[in-house]
Amino acid sequence: MTNAARIRNRIRRLRFDHDEMTQEELANRAGCTRQTIIALEQGKYVPSITLAFQIARAFGVTLEDVFQYEETSR
Amino acid sequence: MAPLQKRALYGLVIGVVWVIAIVVVFIVKGGVSTYSEDTGFRLIMAGLLIGGLLAYSIMMITTLRKSGQVDERDRLILGRAPVVQLWAVFISLAVWSIALTEIYWDQGQIPVIFPYLVFMSLFIVNVLAQSLGILIGYWRGGKP
Repeated sequence: MTNAARIRNRIRRLRFDHDEMTQEELANRAGCTRQTIIALEQGKYVPSITLAFQIARAFGVTLEDVFQYEETSR
Repeated sequence: MAPLQKRALYGLVIGVVWVIAIVVVFIVKGGVSTYSEDTGFRLIMAGLLIGGLLAYSIMMITTLRKSGQVDERDRLILGRAPVVQLWAVFISLAVWSIALTEIYWDQGQIPVIFPYLVFMSLFIVNVLAQSLGILIGYWRGGKP
């Protein structure tokens, strides 16, 4: 039996909660490109710890409010 | 489309046109025999090669230096492009080696001008493969 880890995020939800913040606006605040925000929301990319903190800071929340580490047994 | 992705796509398209131009000039001017005898022709080919490489380098450097155009994901994808470049150069070298060996098997020797052409073609393949590697990286979505 192996353990598979996955990082989930609530970026789309948090943008919605912050007056429908646009992907462009979040990208500017977090210091990345809009395409990276799109990739993050689609679960296609896991950010570095630096970018993860910058995104959390852009929303004014903690890191774990944005990103969740999930471990499942296979 | 990310700025780097756009540049890679333009780079690939322009690169293919550049390769076609080099091949057309090469064939129209007389091919290998003229190339090995005519210094002026060799200079034209070298000019096309260096000019193309310079244009590509300037295009990539301006994209990478502009602030806000490239982030960590772009740099990650850019950093993985050499894998594609390595394979492209390796396959091209294998094709050249097998083709030249088979063609000149009976003569027992390969004309001295070919290593020069192999070098030029590998340079071109290397540049095009960087753009291709970047595009593959975006297509995969930056996944490891």
